[in-house]
Amino acid sequence: MKPIAIKSIRGLLLVGLLGGLLTAGVAATAITYWRTRSETNELFDYQLRQMALSLRNQRLAQPDFGIARDDDDFIVQIWQPDGVRIYLSHPGVVLPDQVKLGYDTVTFNDESWRVFSIQTPASTVQVAQPMRIRRELAQGVALRVLTPFLWLLPVLAALIWITIGAGLRPLKGLAQSLEKRTPLTLQPFSEMNLPAEVMPMVRSLNGLLQRLADALSTQRQFVADAAHELRTPITAVQLQIQLLERAKSEKERDATLRELKAGMKRCAHLVEQLLSLARSEPDARQQGFAPLQLAETVKASIAHLTPLAQARRIDLGLNQADDVAVNGDAAALRVLCENLIDNAVRYAPEGGRVDVEVVRQDDVAQLTVTDNGPGIPVEERERIFDRFYRLPDSSTQGSGLGLAIVKNIADQHGAAIVFEESPYATGLKAVVRFPILRT
Amino acid sequence: MRLLLVEDDTMIGEGARKGLRQDGFVVDWVKDGQAAELALRTETYDMLLLDLGLPKRDGIDVLKALRARGDMLPVLIITARDAVADRVKGLDSGADDYVVKPFDLDELSARIRALLRRRSGRAESVIEHLGLKLDPASHLASFNGEPLALSSREFGILMVLLDHPGAILSRAQLEERLYGMDEAVESNAIEVHIHSLRKKIGHEFIRTVRGIGYMVPKRQ
Repeated sequence: MKPIAIKSIRGLLLVGLLGGLLTAGVAATAITYWRTRSETNELFDYQLRQMALSLRNQRLAQPDFGIARDDDDFIVQIWQPDGVRIYLSHPGVVLPDQVKLGYDTVTFNDESWRVFSIQTPASTVQVAQPMRIRRELAQGVALRVLTPFLWLLPVLAALIWITIGAGLRPLKGLAQSLEKRTPLTLQPFSEMNLPAEVMPMVRSLNGLLQRLADALSTQRQFVADAAHELRTPITAVQLQIQLLERAKSEKERDATLRELKAGMKRCAHLVEQLLSLARSEPDARQQGFAPLQLAETVKASIAHLTPLAQARRIDLGLNQADDVAVNGDAAALRVLCENLIDNAVRYAPEGGRVDVEVVRQDDVAQLTVTDNGPGIPVEERERIFDRFYRLPDSSTQGSGLGLAIVKNIADQHGAAIVFEESPYATGLKAVVRFPILRT
Repeated sequence: MRLLLVEDDTMIGEGARKGLRQDGFVVDWVKDGQAAELALRTETYDMLLLDLGLPKRDGIDVLKALRARGDMLPVLIITARDAVADRVKGLDSGADDYVVKPFDLDELSARIRALLRRRSGRAESVIEHLGLKLDPASHLASFNGEPLALSSREFGILMVLLDHPGAILSRAQLEERLYGMDEAVESNAIEVHIHSLRKKIGHEFIRTVRGIGYMVPKRQ
């Protein structure tokens, strides 16, 4: 069942409460009416009987002076035992002769009459009253119950409107405060003196504001760090350009130009890494995930890095490639693999060795990159994922971002990354464990 | 003038050293704070060029330790940290000047010369003494109006001697001021240079004090 949209809480409460009031009023009126009817019935029936009883021994002469009939008057008829009517209180209104003894309700001239008849040896006395009387009486009483309700309705409507308005004022206040907030003012709202119903909302809002503030702060920090880090490669390029200007011989110019190209390449690499990092951030726009073969991605990465490995005479190879599927973003996983293998190739010594493996272990797809470089000391393994963090002893020209990128992408794919001891004398074994895609 | 350059980035260090050497400075280059302190204790320098973000020992710590032991060596900070707070911290920790990356090579050399000038108590950048004129910025020299062709070592020797006229510097002291850590010095190199200088500016300018060393006389 689709939930009905509430356009206004106040409107809903108003309609609900007034509706309830009206229902109560109508119910009270109806009950009063029926009870009054019941009581007037009893009372008038009693009166009819008493009247009949009091008349049974009277000898009444037919009234001859005309008194205008009041519509509410009782009608009395008395018959002799032989059926002759000897008395009629209101000539002109003749009720049926055939009567039941005791109480009866008869219809006469389109009117309903309550009749009581009593029979003595001397006469039969009948007293009748229009039912209308009783109805009107009950109606009157009932209406007098309903009327205050009806007067109350607008008063209560106004009261409800104002009270609810006052009750909902904290929401309005909250809306106004929120309006004034900017990305620079994300402090939490005070949770003191709040109505119980508004508290959960404000608490959740504060939670969101905190998360937002943290995210913005992280972003700002990232931009500041990135700009700062770019200074180093740019400084090198600036120096190299000036040296190029000063170069006095063709040979010197060539040598300096080569240095300049290397410097420029470093700038470009850092920019690429910064972009990769930004794209791999958890709150960056998500690319679509699809099933893919992990081994294929790894093979592509190895192919891409083979020239670099060859330039350093490093033996880069794929030891094992199990057939295993994971759910992920192919481009992101390429970046992950390339960063891991690139690190291994850079840190391995000339003529060193880098092994890559894709192994299926139960319901885990395990990617391993092993090198025989200097490795990472155990105490550095926590910080190594920090952005721009480089090992204190390293003199390589890395950006410091590779592992931060790898960690982001691994997190994105629900994968865990750990470092284990390399099987070689020194070196690093990086292990990434992905959940296998169940088909 | 012998400088100690402390910079952990290889490309920047290489570029800066090459450029400064072209400008006539003798440059020793180390890559971390510990190596810097070792060099400062064992060698003599005219100025320290200090990067702040160093491995093994932070640049500011190196600077503070230097000043704490009363060393008045001129220090020029070269760093990427350019926030006002960082500059204030650097200068208050004892630096004489602060240069932000990326920097211009020519500007760097000029600032170095300015600091050296200040330390020598000179106002003018061109050094004039008893008819000899040396311009460190352009490496031009003249004696009594006649231009001189000097090698960079010869220029360097004159600069060192003219730093403190009247002070006697031994051969070893001159070697320390003129040759970098990684340069091999032949045992009679200084003598050869002094001899060559005397041929150009006469024997009166540079005096030998027997058993002690060389000096340039003070102004009368």
